[in-house]
Amino acid sequence: MKARYFATLLASAALFSVPALAQQSGKDVYSKVCATCHATGLAGAPRYGNAADWNARAGGGVGRFYQSALQGTAKGMPAKGGHMTLSDGEVKGAVDYMLAAVKDGLKLGKAEEAAPAKAETKPEPKPEPKKAEAKPAPTPAPAPAPAQQSPVAASAPAAIAAAAAAAPSGGDVNAFNRMLKPAGKRNLPPPEDGIHDPTVDGTHALQPPLAAFGTLPKSFAGNRVNWVEALDKNKISPRADRQDPNAVPVVMDLNVVREVKGSMPDVVYPHKQHTEWLDCSNCHPAIFNPQKGSNVISMAAILLGEKCGVCHGKVAFPVSECRLCHSKKKEMPAATAQGK
Amino acid sequence: MRRRLLILFAALLAVSAVPPAAAEYADVVINRAAEKNGMRPVVFPHWFHRIRFACRVCHTELAINPRAASNIITMSDIIDGKFCGACHNNDIAWGVDRCDICHSGKRGLPSGIVGGHETSGPGRW
Repeated sequence: MKARYFATLLASAALFSVPALAQQSGKDVYSKVCATCHATGLAGAPRYGNAADWNARAGGGVGRFYQSALQGTAKGMPAKGGHMTLSDGEVKGAVDYMLAAVKDGLKLGKAEEAAPAKAETKPEPKPEPKKAEAKPAPTPAPAPAPAQQSPVAASAPAAIAAAAAAAPSGGDVNAFNRMLKPAGKRNLPPPEDGIHDPTVDGTHALQPPLAAFGTLPKSFAGNRVNWVEALDKNKISPRADRQDPNAVPVVMDLNVVREVKGSMPDVVYPHKQHTEWLDCSNCHPAIFNPQKGSNVISMAAILLGEKCGVCHGKVAFPVSECRLCHSKKKEMPAATAQGK
Repeated sequence: MRRRLLILFAALLAVSAVPPAAAEYADVVINRAAEKNGMRPVVFPHWFHRIRFACRVCHTELAINPRAASNIITMSDIIDGKFCGACHNNDIAWGVDRCDICHSGKRGLPSGIVGGHETSGPGRW
């Protein structure tokens, strides 16, 4: 086994003479190296999937992006992202990968520069068999959707329509988590969020969410901000009164435990975190009767937007975060106590 | 490589075809009266307001019902200092003269809360 491994290693060293190991794909390099800054926009880096960020730097075309990646920039980009062991081809591959994510929104300085630059990277050895599939893609098919005004769409609308039909939810049809919003699509600035009209000046006057979320604690759902923790740690100080900045909310510290069916941990409802934001009258008596045992709550009702679902799943964290509510471990059943 | 580019592009197209999916969590589109009167829909970002105000300020003091599309808010109310006008009065926040900052939604969007993770159904608030 070991011998075979070394044989493979030697063989690959012979094949790819320069860095001994097989060249990494642009995606691999991106996720290992570039994503540190380019996923979140750390230190002002253009964010993956954010066309506006890239457009602001697109004046020099693709060649300029390669140059910045390889040699670094005065703004803070280290040469080759600080990983000098990467080959030029790998760095360019990563640039291509990031540019591909913003392709339809990208207006490069010189359109014709893109093609030769691409061709230059092509001949580099790529271990994946992707290139073989490149040819049959543009099959002549009627384009049902009107082509968007981007240059790529104009050049191959038929192929795109075919691809769109094959993968309606985007990306590889068999990929993991294909229904989830990728990191680059979260917290988009207003002109790109799909509900603001980018042709209006007002849209551009609005604050992008990430500008505000930078210092706030993270969570795994919703805005990806842990609002309760942000409030606890005084990262935000929302007024409890419209006029009076010093007004303090009437906080009630009372946990209500609701026993639930099955093996799911019991729900602990904390009044404290709710009353920091809300008045009693926001929930009582319209949504919850303030009488013990008089409220019938089910996950179905919550998913239908009733009870907890009035806020949770719309503005407060969604039901995907099971354990934030179902947090009290049950006593083990008698079988364990009896033992043997 | 080319294929991958195409697929990525198709993904972007698919996303742009279903606009609210990329919107911020809890953004509210308000289009009860706007478009009938020739204005773009209003987009209300919860995230921006909750950094500055507790929920109770709007949902109790300003008597805004948390159920989407259940509030009848008119520009004259706002000018009179009700609802949005309690703050959007050129004192706490920009006033009604800056139409396009609030009325910045895409035309044709239905009223409702957008941004994913949405609970929905007949009992929907």
